[in-house]
Amino acid sequence: MIRLLGTGFACLVGLFLIAPVLVTVASSLTTTRYVTFPPQGFTLRWYAEVFRKEEFLSSFVLSVGVALAAAAVSAVVGLACGLAIHRYRFPGRAALEGVLASAFAVPTIVLGIGLLQWFAQMGLASSPFTLLLAHLVLTVPYTVRLVLAGLAGLDRSAEKAAAGLGAAPFLVFWHVTLPAVRGPLIGGAFFAFITSFDDLTVALFVVTTDLQTLPVRIFNYMQYDYDPTVTAIGTLMVLFAAVAVVVIERFVGVAKLFGADTEQNR
Amino acid sequence: MAAIGRVSDGTLSRPRWRTGLLLALPAVVIFGLLFAAPLFTLVANSFRTQTGAFTLSNYERFLGDPFYRGVLWNTLKVAAMTTIGCLLVGYPFALYMRGRSPRVRNWLALLLLSPLLISMVIRAYGWLVVLGPNGPVAAVLKWVGITPPQLLYNDTAVLIGMIHVMLAYMVLPLMGSLDRIDPTLVPAARGLGAPGWTCFWRITLPLSAPGMLAGAMIVFSLTASSFVTPAILGGPKVKLMPYFVYTQATTTLDWPYAAAIGFILVVVTTGLLLGYARLLRRNNGDVVFQ
Amino acid sequence: MRASTATAEVSADDAVRRGRLRLDGVRKVLGGKEVVSAVDLETEPGEFLTLLGPSGCGKSTTLNMVAGHLTADGGVIEVDGRDVTGTPPHRRSMGMVFQSYALFPHMTIADNVAFGLRMRKVAAAERDRQVAEVLEMVGLDGMAGRHPRQLSGGQQQRAALARALVIQPDLLLLDEPFSNLDAQLRVRLREEVGALQRRIGTTTILVTHDQEEALAVSDRIAVMADGVIHQLDRPREIYLRPGTDFVAQFIGEVNALDGTAAGFTRDGYACRVADATVAATPAGEAPAEGTEVRVYVRPEVVRIRTDRTSGLVGTVRETRFLGSRIRCVVATPAGDVTAALPFDADVPAVGEEVTCEWRPSDASLTAR
Repeated sequence: MIRLLGTGFACLVGLFLIAPVLVTVASSLTTTRYVTFPPQGFTLRWYAEVFRKEEFLSSFVLSVGVALAAAAVSAVVGLACGLAIHRYRFPGRAALEGVLASAFAVPTIVLGIGLLQWFAQMGLASSPFTLLLAHLVLTVPYTVRLVLAGLAGLDRSAEKAAAGLGAAPFLVFWHVTLPAVRGPLIGGAFFAFITSFDDLTVALFVVTTDLQTLPVRIFNYMQYDYDPTVTAIGTLMVLFAAVAVVVIERFVGVAKLFGADTEQNR
Repeated sequence: MAAIGRVSDGTLSRPRWRTGLLLALPAVVIFGLLFAAPLFTLVANSFRTQTGAFTLSNYERFLGDPFYRGVLWNTLKVAAMTTIGCLLVGYPFALYMRGRSPRVRNWLALLLLSPLLISMVIRAYGWLVVLGPNGPVAAVLKWVGITPPQLLYNDTAVLIGMIHVMLAYMVLPLMGSLDRIDPTLVPAARGLGAPGWTCFWRITLPLSAPGMLAGAMIVFSLTASSFVTPAILGGPKVKLMPYFVYTQATTTLDWPYAAAIGFILVVVTTGLLLGYARLLRRNNGDVVFQ
Repeated sequence: MRASTATAEVSADDAVRRGRLRLDGVRKVLGGKEVVSAVDLETEPGEFLTLLGPSGCGKSTTLNMVAGHLTADGGVIEVDGRDVTGTPPHRRSMGMVFQSYALFPHMTIADNVAFGLRMRKVAAAERDRQVAEVLEMVGLDGMAGRHPRQLSGGQQQRAALARALVIQPDLLLLDEPFSNLDAQLRVRLREEVGALQRRIGTTTILVTHDQEEALAVSDRIAVMADGVIHQLDRPREIYLRPGTDFVAQFIGEVNALDGTAAGFTRDGYACRVADATVAATPAGEAPAEGTEVRVYVRPEVVRIRTDRTSGLVGTVRETRFLGSRIRCVVATPAGDVTAALPFDADVPAVGEEVTCEWRPSDASLTAR
């Protein structure tokens, strides 16, 4: 009886968790001119509509470009920084660790307005480049954290063994250290991609009317239009996220990314 | 051997700290120029008038105005209610998860995290549809003969949307805590004659307190600083701090005032986290979730 | 482990001439504390030498300096007359086996073993041949394609050994290699390693805190404590004739009797303990007559005689059957003396007056 109750409760929570996605996907197929659930009839015209709207396509291209750059840069910067923190003692190390940790705690909206005012003060006009810089602040702490976790799992003796077997320092890094953080790096890069691609809060402060990322475009579109085009875009983005989740799960495990391990600890 | 862990102290190349600094340099530059400097600018601006003179008026204005005090109060209220909601839904769910096989647990964790992996805008939009006048909730209410009330653009809508995103942040640390409980404790208590409910109340619940506390801290501070979900589901009618930071900065264009509101928000959320960290250090408790 | 005569012959020929390690006044300071102070050591080629001591005694630090993972803060490390003190680890030829095995988790066993050969740019065909050979030697043929996590602890240890041996190192360095294994496997593997080492003749340095292990496999043992070598000698000498109180107490059980030196006699060096005279062999230089000394006697060498009443006489206080041995405690004027008698010995009755005896060459004597 208790067991049944538990399962029923878990199913309800599950439904609650997937409801918005479920409804978005389903209502993207409606033939009505307004969003409704359950959908009426079946049509793919809203998908066609997405591809007909040039501003969505250009926003998509901008978002993907910035997100790819953010992923690549955070992977490299995260690896270097992770190695530095894990392996070396240098002046400012504690401060850097502190800043990286507090980056998780500072509200994104505050970061956004801070960047807006700072860029204005520096006279930096908004461009895809400034957007990239802003996103790195959101993504690098994650890659550093994952790289550090990967390095913590590496047996230092393995590196010593490689050196003892005749591998020069760079070869030790290439053959032993790098493979240990390959998973975290790929996972971290994917997460950086999603974070950048998904970000609205910071982007709202950094963009202009001609330079809008996809989330900003959708956010603005939603204020005026209520047609099912947005649900079609949403469905496409959900598919996109699903692929990313599979990749992250394969390389690091989604739960680990958020700092929690679901496997039993001992 | 203690000596092995120290290898880095004395290996062959001498100026090792220089290598370290060089490796850390890109991150230092990024966080110096794009994190520390903007936040410093923000704090500095919050003590300025629109023309640049030093002033405390931005803070006086915020704290002196009952309307803005109400915004702060409402922000704390919504954050607290989200935290309680996450606990009420999350605790039983964590208990349910604990009893499942590692495989199922992994799937459940993925399910919990799925809202975080879907675009914020789309996720909030999904709730707009679910709770909207043409959505499934309204449809069910109509079907049983109730005229659906306005479900959107109020605290409840924000609450639902926030619990949806924050649930994972509550359940995962809670799981960590539950897993740490020695599985023989409950049978031992049963053997001493305690009924099941008492066992839960006297053993499981207190021992999972660190996880609850960690989850509550994260959920509270993240909710208090959320912008996108409350903005879409609550709109201008739901008065929350992040929304005012945004409107002051982009609509009213009162940057010093926006900065002051932002800084107050930082103080409230990080102050909470710092207090929690200190509490942990003093109690020598284990950090479940950092 | 099966024999592979080819490798054994090749390496044995080489190793006879190679593998002489010399440490001269080697020091290491870590975190402001001198963990190794002026260690001197010299090995014979082909020798199996063990650094034995409690954790924190500096034995692992010493081994890491030999391997080049730590730089010595003073002194000289020489291999076959070459000064390698400042040579980085990848330019020394040392095969090291770690407590954690330190296999590369992302490589197969074959790739792990081949790693050192790859670094030496050995041609693929030759490499494969040598890998197959050494894997057969350690009994891992058939495991070549597996990954480390698919192997048991013992198998991982063999793979680590194969990886260290395949490069035909000047020295084989073993850092607590058996301590992660269960008791039975530990004994079996250390015997295998000992036999393998004797066959291929590579000079080997073992670091361990397990005295039984050290006694079982070593040609010589260096007992270390607080960064210095207390005694360097063959296992039998270390056991029967401890040179310092630390060595005596660290290894096995010992009877320590305090007395006064009484000079050489026909039976060895005499010593007055309480009202009796006993004989022992001085560890190092013989102390002058009349100095305060301490005699160390292992329970195994003590014999109990009921037919004599001269010498170290006492009354039996307790006897206990322990399976392989009978433990017998005799209360003497010089204190309790424990004897470990063979299981078939005549056991004296409790309360009986007996004499404790031993061969002077089986006991040691040091100044107090």
